Amino acid sequence: MAEAPLDDILKIEELSVSFYSPMGEIEAVRNVSLRVHRGEILAIVGESGCGKSVLCKSIMKMLPDIAGIRSGRIIAEGGDITSFSEKEMRKLRGSFFSMVFQNPMTVMDPTYSVGAQIAEAVRVHDKRMTKAAAFDEAIRLMSLTGIEHADKRAKMYPGELSGGMRQRAVIAMALAARPKLIFADEPTTALDERIRGEILALFKDIRDKLGTSIVLVSHDLNAVRRVADRVCVMYAGKIIETGSTEEIFVCPGHPYTRALLKAMPDNTDRSEPLYDIPGMPPMLIAPPKGDAFAPRNIHALKIDFIKEAPMFRMSDTHYAASWELADEETRSREPELFMEAATDNDRGESFKLSFEAKSKSEKSIENDIILAVRDLSCTYMADRHTAVRAIDALSFEVKRGEIFGIVGESGSGKSTLAKCIMNILKPDSGSIIYKDVDILDKKAFTANKKMLNTSRQLIFQDSDSALDPRMKIADIIAEPMRIARITPECGSVREAAIRIMEAVGLDQSYADKYPSDMSGGQRQRAAIARALSMKPELIIADEALASLDVSVQAQIVNLFKKLQKEYGFTLLFISHDKSMVRYLCDRAAVLDHGRLTEIVNGESFA
Amino acid sequence: MHKQKLIKLIKRILITFLSIALLSLIVFYISRLAPGDPLVSYFGERAQKLTAEERSLALSKLGLDQPIAVQYIRWLQHALQGDFGISYKYKIPVTELISDRIGNTLILGGIGFILIFFGALILGFFCAWHEDKLTDRVICTFGTVLGCIPEFWLSLIFILIFAVTLRVLPSSGAYSIGGGDIADRIRHLIMPLSVVVIDHLWYYSYMVRNKLVSEFRADYVLCARAKGLSKAQIITRHCLRNIMPSYLSIMAVAVPHIIGGTYIVESVFAYPGLGTLIYESARYKDYNLLMLLCIMTGAAVIVCGELAKLINERIDPRLRKSMRFTEDEEVDEL
Repeated sequence: MAEAPLDDILKIEELSVSFYSPMGEIEAVRNVSLRVHRGEILAIVGESGCGKSVLCKSIMKMLPDIAGIRSGRIIAEGGDITSFSEKEMRKLRGSFFSMVFQNPMTVMDPTYSVGAQIAEAVRVHDKRMTKAAAFDEAIRLMSLTGIEHADKRAKMYPGELSGGMRQRAVIAMALAARPKLIFADEPTTALDERIRGEILALFKDIRDKLGTSIVLVSHDLNAVRRVADRVCVMYAGKIIETGSTEEIFVCPGHPYTRALLKAMPDNTDRSEPLYDIPGMPPMLIAPPKGDAFAPRNIHALKIDFIKEAPMFRMSDTHYAASWELADEETRSREPELFMEAATDNDRGESFKLSFEAKSKSEKSIENDIILAVRDLSCTYMADRHTAVRAIDALSFEVKRGEIFGIVGESGSGKSTLAKCIMNILKPDSGSIIYKDVDILDKKAFTANKKMLNTSRQLIFQDSDSALDPRMKIADIIAEPMRIARITPECGSVREAAIRIMEAVGLDQSYADKYPSDMSGGQRQRAAIARALSMKPELIIADEALASLDVSVQAQIVNLFKKLQKEYGFTLLFISHDKSMVRYLCDRAAVLDHGRLTEIVNGESFA
Repeated sequence: MHKQKLIKLIKRILITFLSIALLSLIVFYISRLAPGDPLVSYFGERAQKLTAEERSLALSKLGLDQPIAVQYIRWLQHALQGDFGISYKYKIPVTELISDRIGNTLILGGIGFILIFFGALILGFFCAWHEDKLTDRVICTFGTVLGCIPEFWLSLIFILIFAVTLRVLPSSGAYSIGGGDIADRIRHLIMPLSVVVIDHLWYYSYMVRNKLVSEFRADYVLCARAKGLSKAQIITRHCLRNIMPSYLSIMAVAVPHIIGGTYIVESVFAYPGLGTLIYESARYKDYNLLMLLCIMTGAAVIVCGELAKLINERIDPRLRKSMRFTEDEEVDEL
């Protein structure tokens, strides 16, 4: 052979992993084959629930007891480790491969100093080392990962370090026993945009300096593009496309990959709706036949529904499992239009009608100001002696019926602002005029209490914890109406709730389900429905997209756009995601450390 | 730094004394406001037959005819000099009365507490280790049933089995008449101690078990596994340490509960401890005795609580105050 074989540090052959739940077997990873070369950064991308994390954890054998490897082989540096016992695996964990996790806030034991925990990882695999020597090694590792004053920070506890610092410490911990391979499971998802870049650069740096292979699991395509050498795209437990980063981003082979790329707001013009991948990833209790993505693919071929595509070669390094790449004979000619799910547009007609008159009347007074914030300042006590100024002399105005964005990194005072506007937090000074009522004035507030409580609504970041897990969806949506004693036009409160559910694209059948039965995107739709049930004039969405996948984000953003047009409410969209704000908002305020840097128009926002 | 610590320590001690003083005031007032005749405990049956004159004489002799505030100040003056008065019932100084019995109580309750403290940790640990396996389920069911058995019933059954039928253990008292050696004391202790331990053990074990089980689900456990630590290392080094603060806080509150709350066991086994005294003093308005016992119990609660707080702050840095920084402050600090 002319070509020298690439040096593989890890080879997965036809690995299948299943969870055995009371509902049946969930095939989380199906027939995955994969190679990781020495010293490369391999990215695994896909929507949540597609089996990325499970794949990594099953390689390290860290899955819960209800999960098991059904078939396939895991070969680490030439040796088959598939049947290794827990004891044998323990020797490999940390020293051959280790893992960096998503949330640096919770993966460290809060009761030990950071240095002690890294030292512990050092000593696990080198028992002769003294504690003091291990601690010195921990300090060295911490400076290696870019932590300044490592000697002092090593003595600090996890709670005393910032998120970015902690993630560096977690990486230092993963490096402790000089592993040859690091799995990084969504390592930047929980971090700020600015710190994200730094952590990604750090991974690249580690690869360059130490030659460690890195498997980067992420749904953040921007991140992947910046650091990965090769990319694997996973969908419904399978790898459907693999290739170099360049190849994947420039000429994607699989329709799913194309859809993912299309869903990124950076690639979309404001005048068009953001592309969302219709439908949901399939349940893996009974995995679909054929190409799992076909039901969501408008251009799916007949054969996609019948037979699974093999990996077609696009180049030496680029393979994709799509029948589109097969020659003419293999695939049947006519593309089938097989879509039912792309439906948001036709739903909610009836509900819309009741609002029409209202939104029309609002159109006529378009330029009037619904919310004016003047010289608002707010401090809070970090502890008894330190006051932190969260908002500093902030002034801006929001027009009725516009989508107004508030952008800034975490800690820039966005959420504090939202709380002030909602009367949850009392600012120190300044005024907030909402619909000509000074809501900070006690008298004015009490006089207009009912109006204020119903016409302003808040949507939270984490719909998972914002919805009562013990209430049914219809009840959650109806609750505000019950509390405000509103009798809806259609008669019963429940009927109204179901109409709103239709308007936000939730199927009626969810009315009697619980939040835990729904996906993140569906839960966020329910949260929006709850806010809408009061027919609000102002909706504040506080990082409403942050916990969602890219494709689901797109769905929700399109929903916001659509609902705003129909109902004519004013939307205050708070986000750290600049590209999303640029795409969605008419105007946006940029916050930095509680100060207003500028107010920009949607398009001109850089 | 040292100066700050000293100030903190002094502050804490001051607070402790203040709390005890406040406690004494409240107990003093409430016990005197509650209905009942203190003379009953002094004269016993005879109290009802006293003439009005004899009564008022007795009351003024005991100082009970004064306004409560005056009584309290007087009591406080004496108490600060170490004089807590005499017990109306036993007619001897309460300190003497208590010191006679406190040893017995400390032996029974103290050993019981230590056994429960470590036993609950071990049993809870064992169950958590075998979470949801058969052993765990059996122990959980059995423990719950055992914890529901009333103390007096268990005591009687024990006496029936070990003292009456098998005749291996003495049925009552703290030692044989005429005193006894250590072996004799231990033999007397076995049954009451078993009842105290059996009755409390599961409650705390179950708490340890559930705390540990939920701790296993924490993210840092996954991370520790990725480091290559074994399950035993993770649990002993990390999980146990993390549940310790809440366990210690609960156990601190449990100290007086276990040590002082042995009234039923003491009565059934005729064990001369404080439990019976506490009950009697409250029932018969033996004010001086009641005051001292309440203050002792209260002091025990406060001291144990402070102790637990101290240990907890050592274990978990998040419980120390002034531990929250933002990124910028942290840099300033360096």
